[in-house]
Parts: sequence; C-alpha cells; structure tokens
Amino acid sequence: MKDVAPPTTRRGLLAGIGVGATSALAGCSERLWSQAETPGSEQVSLTIKTVPADDNRLAASIASHLRENYRAAGIDATHEPVTKAELYRDILLEGDYDVFVARHPGLDEYDALRGLLHSRFRSEHGWQNPFQFSDVTADDYLDQQRVATESDRRDLLTDLIDHLAETAPYTVVAYPHPLSGASAEITVPSPPRQPQEYIEILSQSDNGPRDGPLEVGVFGEELTERLNPLTVDRNRIDGLLDLLYDPLARRIDGEYVPWLAEEVEWTEEDGIQARVTLREGLEWHDGESLDAEDVAFTLRFIGDTSMGDVDGGVPAPRYRSQQTLVSTTNVVDSQTVVLSMSDTTPAAARRVLTIPVLPEHIWDDRSELLADRQTRALADDNDDPIGSGLFSFADATTDLEIELEPFEEHVLRGATTGPDILDGFSQFEGITFRVSPNPGAMVEALIDGEIDVTASELPPQHTEPIRDAENVSTITGTTDAFYMIGYNNAHDELSNPYFRRVCSRLIDREHVVSEFFETFAQPAASSEELVGVNSETWGHDNLETDDEPEILRFPGTDGEVNTSRVRSLFQDIGYRYENEELLE
Amino acid sequence: MALVEVLLELVFIVAAMLVTATLVLVGPRRMVAALYGFRWRLEACVLPFAALVVVLLLRWSTQDIVQRLERRVLRNNITPYLFELDQALFGTDPVAVLQSLQTDVLTSFFVFIYIYGYAFLLLFPFIAYFALDEMDDLSNLVVAFTANYGIGLVCYTLFIAFGPRNVDPLLFEGLLYEAFPQSRTLTNEINQNTNVFPSLHTSLSMTVFFLAWVTREKYPLWFPISAVFAISVAFSTMYLGIHWFSDVIAGTALALVSVYIGVNYTIEGILVSIRQFFEAQGQPPNADGE
Repeated sequence: MKDVAPPTTRRGLLAGIGVGATSALAGCSERLWSQAETPGSEQVSLTIKTVPADDNRLAASIASHLRENYRAAGIDATHEPVTKAELYRDILLEGDYDVFVARHPGLDEYDALRGLLHSRFRSEHGWQNPFQFSDVTADDYLDQQRVATESDRRDLLTDLIDHLAETAPYTVVAYPHPLSGASAEITVPSPPRQPQEYIEILSQSDNGPRDGPLEVGVFGEELTERLNPLTVDRNRIDGLLDLLYDPLARRIDGEYVPWLAEEVEWTEEDGIQARVTLREGLEWHDGESLDAEDVAFTLRFIGDTSMGDVDGGVPAPRYRSQQTLVSTTNVVDSQTVVLSMSDTTPAAARRVLTIPVLPEHIWDDRSELLADRQTRALADDNDDPIGSGLFSFADATTDLEIELEPFEEHVLRGATTGPDILDGFSQFEGITFRVSPNPGAMVEALIDGEIDVTASELPPQHTEPIRDAENVSTITGTTDAFYMIGYNNAHDELSNPYFRRVCSRLIDREHVVSEFFETFAQPAASSEELVGVNSETWGHDNLETDDEPEILRFPGTDGEVNTSRVRSLFQDIGYRYENEELLE
Repeated sequence: MALVEVLLELVFIVAAMLVTATLVLVGPRRMVAALYGFRWRLEACVLPFAALVVVLLLRWSTQDIVQRLERRVLRNNITPYLFELDQALFGTDPVAVLQSLQTDVLTSFFVFIYIYGYAFLLLFPFIAYFALDEMDDLSNLVVAFTANYGIGLVCYTLFIAFGPRNVDPLLFEGLLYEAFPQSRTLTNEINQNTNVFPSLHTSLSMTVFFLAWVTREKYPLWFPISAVFAISVAFSTMYLGIHWFSDVIAGTALALVSVYIGVNYTIEGILVSIRQFFEAQGQPPNADGE
C-alpha cells in the first residue's frame, strides 16, 4: 500500500514544526519538572567495617562473606578494614559506621542487655548502646526485668528476647572456642584469657615451683601501650589489666567469689543493699592503703569522670551498665561500705561487685576536662598502672614485652582463708607477656620453647604446626565472647527492623563455623544465642523463647545465597529492584 | 632476639650477593681504585646524602606522631577504593589471579625476591655508581631515593590503606607471613600494615631500574639484571598479597617522578633557589610596590 502525502507548503511545514516543538516541549518540560521534583531511587549502600586480617582473621573472613552475600542481594556493599583500636573508636565512641563485624567480650548476665540496648545509653560511649537503638517495647522489658521477682523476670526476659529476635538491633554469628598452644612441660587447664585462668596455670603444683615467670605469648600491635582500664579504643591483652586491678568479687564459673571483699551481706528493705566488708590490710601497689573510700570513689568516678565539672557528667565507657545499678554509696568506716540499689533484682545486683577498684589518690587528679566529653581519665595512657591485684606492673621497656611481678603484700598471697582457686598459688615468679608481630611468629616462639603458652586468639588455621610438633599441644576451652554483626540504627535503611531482620539472615552461621572457624566455635542457634547469651557457658535453664527464629533461616545453601529467594525477602518487606540493584 | 636472627640472615645473604655482583659487574681493580679515592667521591655527594639522612631521621623520629595523625586525625581510608579499582580495571582481582598460579617454588622465589632481592637491588647501585669516575650518577640516585621516600611518606600520612591479604582472607592469601612469619619482625620495624599506597617496594626498585637505563652505557649488564629484579619485586608484592595492582602502578609513577627529580635537580640547586626566594621576600618593598 502506498500513502499519498498531501503536498507540503513551506508555511504549513513551519507551522507544523512550531506546533510539534511546542507540544513536545510541553510534554518534555512536565517530565523535567517531575524528575526535578521527585528524587530518583538510589541503590541501598552499606559499608561494613571490621579489623584487618592481621588483627583478627576470623572477623575479616566473616565480613568478607557478608559483603558477598549483601552484593548478591543487590546491596552496594563496601568492606572497610580499620585497625582494632580505630574500629573501637569508630563504633564505640563515634558511631561512625553502617555495619560492623566485631568480637564482643561477652555478657555476664541478662541485665547486661540493658547497657547494650537501653535507649537511655544512646549518647554514651563504649558498649553502651553503640547501635543508637531506641525501642519503647525493649526499653520497657529492660526496665521491668530489673525490678521483677525471679519468676516474673523469666517471663519478661523471654518476651524481651523474642522481641529482640524480631527487631534484630545486632545479631550474633558464633561463639568461638578459645584456642591456645601450650608447652608439653606445663599443665594448662584452659586457654588463659581471664585472670582465673592465669591463676589456675600458676597454681598447678606439677608446673613448679619455677625460678622465673610464666612466659605468655601474644600477638598484635600497640599491645604494650594504653594500659587504661576505663578506655575502649585500644588493642589489649585479654585479662592483663584484670590481673593488675582487683574487683570486690570475681565471677568464676558463674559464681561470685569475694576477692577484695571479705564478705558481702545482702539485705532487702527499701530496695537492695549490699554491705561490703573489705579484707584487712589491703594495699595498692604503691604502698598506699586501700579502703572503703576507694570503692565509693570508683563507683562515682565511673558514673562521671569529670567529678561534677560537666553538666550531665562524662561517664566512663566501661563498667557503666554495672555502675548504674547503684543509686547511693555510704562509707560506714574504712573497711565497710554500703551500696544501695533501689530498682534491682539480686541476680542483676551482684554484677556491681565485678567492677575493678581504682585508687582514688591517682585517679582523682584525672577528672580534668581535655576536650568535649573527654577527661584526662579517658585519654591517659596510664603507663604505670597502680592497682591492687596479685601482680604489679614491672616494666614495658620495649613494645615487645610486658613484665608483671608478684605483689608480695597482697593479702590473698599465702593466706589460708582465701578463695579455693588460690590453692597452690603461685608456682611461678610473675608473668611475662612476649609480643609477636603475628600469629605465625607466636606459634614459632612456642615451638622454639621461648614461651610456655599462647594467650591471644589463635586462628584455627595456625594450629597445624602445633599439632605436628611434639613438645607442644593445643588446648581449647569456653568463653562468653562472641562474633557479632552490629547495625547503626541512624542509617536510613538500618533503622527499619524488617530490613535488619533480612540482613541478619544473610549470614550462613553453620558455614562460617565449619569453614572459617574450622569447627572451633558453636554457631548461634536460638533466640537467646542470637543476642549473646551463651547457653554453654552460662550453665542456666534456658528461657522458653521462640525455638526457630526467622533470622536463623539462611536463604541459600553452603554459604551462597539464592538470589531470587533473597530478592523476594526484600520485596516482601516493601523494597524493589531495578537492574538487580536493591533500591532505597 | 628473633629480629637479630632475621637481620643477621639478611646481612649475610645480601652481602654475598653484593660481593658477587661487584666482582662481576664492577671488577676488583676498578673497585680498589675507587676505594682509594673515597674521600673526594664522598665529598662530591655529601649534600644529597645529608638530605637522605634528614628524611630518614625525620621518619624515624616522627613515626608515632605521623601514625597518630594518619589514623586519628586525617583518617582517609582508601582501602575500599583500591579493592574496587583493581576489580574495575580487570573485571577480576589481579592479585587473586596471580595467587592462583601458586606453587611452593614460586612462593619461595618471590619471598626471596621481596626480602633479599629487594635489599640487593637497592644497595648495589650505591657501589656501582661509587666506582664510576664521576659522582653525578650517585648523586642522582641519592636524590631520587630521597624524593621517593619523602613523597611516599607524605602519601602514607594522607592515606590509610590495607593490602589485599589484610582485607579479605577468603580471596587473598598472606603468603609472605605464612611462609616466613618471622619476617614480620623485620617489616614491622620499617613500616605498618596501613601503609600500602603507593608501593615503596615497587617505586624504589623501579627507580633503580630507570636509573640503570640512564647509565646503561656505563654498566650495560646491570640494565637487564635490574630489569629482572625490579619487575620481579613488583610482581612479588602482588603475588605475596601485600599490595594491590593500583599500588604497583602508583609506585611506578612515583619512580618516574623521582627519577625525573633525581636527574634534573640537585640538592645544591634546590638550596640555592630556596635561598634566592627568601632573599627576594626579605628585601624591603620598593617604592612601586604596596
């Protein structure tokens, strides 16, 4: 078929062009206006912060696995390694992150969740709500569990943990089994991380007596700097400062064993009162006497390191959730102090006893303000730590070793009535920590006989040479610590609990444990374990929480996500995809 | 103690390599003759050496401050960009591809090159150029090294960057420290793991290689030898999982800049122009000026 076009005149043509151009422009301008008025959807982007493999190979591997799964889900995921001290600074002090992967030292009691999640701690530093989480329901449960009777408390905690499994302010990946290498010549009951584990090694009668210190291998950078027990933005040797600074009581195998305290008398009238009687003859490492004033000072100082100079105070980033249990302290005499806790159940109240006691005569001068919300106490390196522990700090002349020498004046040394754990203590003269640059060098030092035992987390990949050598062996134990993924609730998407819940499913916990931890860990497998309650170490009756929380259902197999399943998960909660990208 | 052992081993092996290369490339007679005239030779390049020493001392004395400035104040972490740039350039991870060729022999070779070959490559030109009749090439070498190190340190302060082995243990392996963990005691003394951009291993090696080309008529054999070493060093940094491809490229570019500076500028000339600049500033303003 052939069209016969009407003859074109010049005027007609011009008119036609004019009309066409105007109408086209009209349509076009409407489109331009619309586009200018409605900003386009952008791809969801998340930066995952974690430590470099040098600091913690396991955390770096988890972050890498997570990055790939986020990408498969259409998220623009970036992976940013930050040194350990700086990571703590970013997540615990400045809230400068989207998602982080880190090793948490562990929770000691359900009440620890209050410090971690209560919205009143949003603006505080340290592990006090580093997620900027604020949830009315969670706050209510956290407040009520503190005052409830024992049976009501279980119900409240069950509800709380079910609620947290729904809202996922953070999610636990796995509970590592601590691993150490030890020389065949000494008996090591469990990998040394906490003071009691060191004490156990030092007390084994077949380990000595030795005319020298226990040689402990560690690895990492800046381990000999910043020996301040109140700061969080540093790399540290687990347990070192707890050997130097004694608390009123130590939590050993779930029991609270009186330490600086001779006895603690609990009374319940008008709230809970703990009448603490200190042991007789307590001394600081510098010879000053330790009395009830120091205990009262420590509690006050942790609550406000500016000692009243700043409105609202500058609380310490550590031990804060324990310190907030106490409402008033009353020094009765130099050996007796009464701690009053108005809204607290006994189970939670005991936590306050584990705060390390600080010497008033040293820390009182450190209340000076250096910068906004930064007192000298929080910036000081404390390079000559004076505590009251079984060991005193001798030397860290180089960045390669730290020497702890026995504090002979300690009342528990040679005492016959002290805690059972001190039977046979000590077969050694002090402890020396030797710093290696990396786990491989630490393992070589062990095999060469330069150290007796390793204390830094030994990556499972490095156990092979230890198993192959004849004079050394590996030992494992248990810990409250866990690997977690934290979300910043100030982030646009991460403020959405549904989004966080799907994100929390994007990690294959079984796969992580079998591949990266080489089975030296236990994957989080219940609602309680997803928030950091380690059913293996707590040795308690589990709460009756939801058996199969949704977060544990990984949408894929063997660590690989199934892209279409993940997409439908995000689509179900109102997100859409374009060109395989997840849009905001 | 471990450091001393590693250091002794390094000294022995590198000394053996240097002696061999000197005998073959320079010749004993020429070397002895050069040693007799060591006084004027050193006097001729005292300024460049002084500049190098100043930069090294500055580095040594400010290590703590610089690290604090880099990590706590400036905090420009460019690691994710390097990771993604590598992927964008090749569509895959070049470091992972190199590591997929891994064999024990290749690993031993690259570990050897990264530690001993590198030390030899950097030290030999000092001997070779010292034995020449004029000290211009030695001066150029020292000025180029100084520029290289100085610019590298500025970059290290400005940027925090971790190498592949530190970012992603699933994709990349830290072959050097797995094969030879004690070498970390040595590398720790010199550098931190946040300083990978640019690769100073590459840039100093490439500087030697480019200068070997400049002096190819005086030492014809050194040019191909240095080429083999320099290129092997560049590859070793990637193969061992220490540097990104981008670091190596930036290192090569830095080498070009440094050689340009070394060949075209002298410390004396730079000092003169600085003096002239300040004299011009110090003069009282003339009647025309405001």
